[in-house]
Amino acid sequence: MKATYYPGCSLEGTARPYDLSTRQVCSALGVDLQEAPDWSCCGSSPALKMNRVLSVALSAHNIAQIERRQVGDVVVPCPFCFRRLASAQQEMKADPQLKQRVETAIETTVQGELSVHSLLGYIRNEVGLATIRENVKKPLKGLRLIPYYGCYQVRPPKVTRFDDPENPSSLDEILDALGAVVLDWDFKAECCGAALALAKTEKVTELCGRLIREAAYRGADALVVVCPLCQANLDMRQDDVRAHHGTKYSLPILYFTELMGLSFGISPSALGMDHHIHDPLILLKNKGLT
Amino acid sequence: MLRLTGNSSERVFLNDMMNKSGQRLLECLQCGKCTGSCPVASPETGGPRQLIAQILAGMKDHALTNPMWWYCVSCGSCVTRCPVDINVYELATALCETAAREGITPSEREIHLFEDLFLKSVRKYGRVKELRTVALFNLMTMNPLKDMDKGIALMKKGAIGPLEIFRAGKKDDKVERIFKRVESTREGE
Ligand code: SF4
Ligand code: SF4
Repeated sequence: MKATYYPGCSLEGTARPYDLSTRQVCSALGVDLQEAPDWSCCGSSPALKMNRVLSVALSAHNIAQIERRQVGDVVVPCPFCFRRLASAQQEMKADPQLKQRVETAIETTVQGELSVHSLLGYIRNEVGLATIRENVKKPLKGLRLIPYYGCYQVRPPKVTRFDDPENPSSLDEILDALGAVVLDWDFKAECCGAALALAKTEKVTELCGRLIREAAYRGADALVVVCPLCQANLDMRQDDVRAHHGTKYSLPILYFTELMGLSFGISPSALGMDHHIHDPLILLKNKGLT
Repeated sequence: MLRLTGNSSERVFLNDMMNKSGQRLLECLQCGKCTGSCPVASPETGGPRQLIAQILAGMKDHALTNPMWWYCVSCGSCVTRCPVDINVYELATALCETAAREGITPSEREIHLFEDLFLKSVRKYGRVKELRTVALFNLMTMNPLKDMDKGIALMKKGAIGPLEIFRAGKKDDKVERIFKRVESTREGE
């Protein structure tokens, strides 16, 4: 399977392990990822808030570049980038005037008919659980994982067209296929507030705090994410949470692709698993998984 | 709070917000499901239901200086649960654009500063330089050492290089052009 890969800015920065593990896992699954030509930022939440035409134009610019050299489906690991690319296509389709303004801004025409997938959606639905199972060499036996989808991956459903917005299950199913113990909880798709991480740290500490506290209460060994913003936010804010709640937490926050890679027999360092603040390596060693 | 009459002169702001955001605000039931679902609803922000109530009542000044839409993280909970599909993050964009055009001082200085720095980074480099943006933000809010412990922890793990803050990377002129062209079409509106 060939696919166009749009990594997004975070995967070049703090989310390197997501990029490394995505490439490793896709190659193991027989997905040939071709990086989008000259991709640029989707504008993320600041463009979305401050300037609608700019926000759509930044996505449309990428879409137009991919269209010219289209390789299969488009796969996007960051849920925010995914949602912006998918939404831009829908917004232009619904509003021809907007499309015209956007085309003027990007100085080219754009079709907006690409099939855009989140990485989670692509792996769950296009690759499928059977292929995943075939690749598992070291089942994650005894590892208690709590799946966290966050908001942008599933909401709003009209844009994401993926899974259940209140009680999604695709990540649960993948982790189950890896042989892990998958825990249930109520906060699967609650927001961690990452967009306010710098400007309103207090608020974000509160939002992260309730997630970390609940995950710990459920007895999770690690919390599994699909979003680079969630990962950075939850990994970094645990010490601040302690200052608030008085309890010390040290919960590894892992990308689902890291766990897939691990179960496929790829070494943790090749997956970037040594790059996290709350180190998962001791845990993996104790569980006999490294 | 007064309900507006049908008189069109009373409804200029309401109609403007409905047009710009594409949201059918007149259908709002004021049920409060959005506020109950919103991660940033609080006594300080009032929550999305209250923001919509202000627009419905023609309280333009209140709405444009309401901190709620600055706080909005576009999580999409409101629109997912709203019985009449009102999307508050799309409304936030309409309010933000209008407030900027009218020269209103942002009610949430820090959020505005962060979003502005982020976009400047995108404009200049085509991709956002996370660490430069963080460092700049902390400097400009007179808090240069904020989260330094986390930065150092990440450096020790080799997750980020110590020179990353200074490494600007290559520029992408095409993105800068897009910013410029969006600005110029807007002036000609
Ligand atoms: S959920 Fe919808 S109808 Fe109810 S108050 Fe909020 S915007 Fe209005
Ligand atoms: S999209 Fe904005 S207003 Fe709606 S629930 Fe999320 S943060 Fe609140």
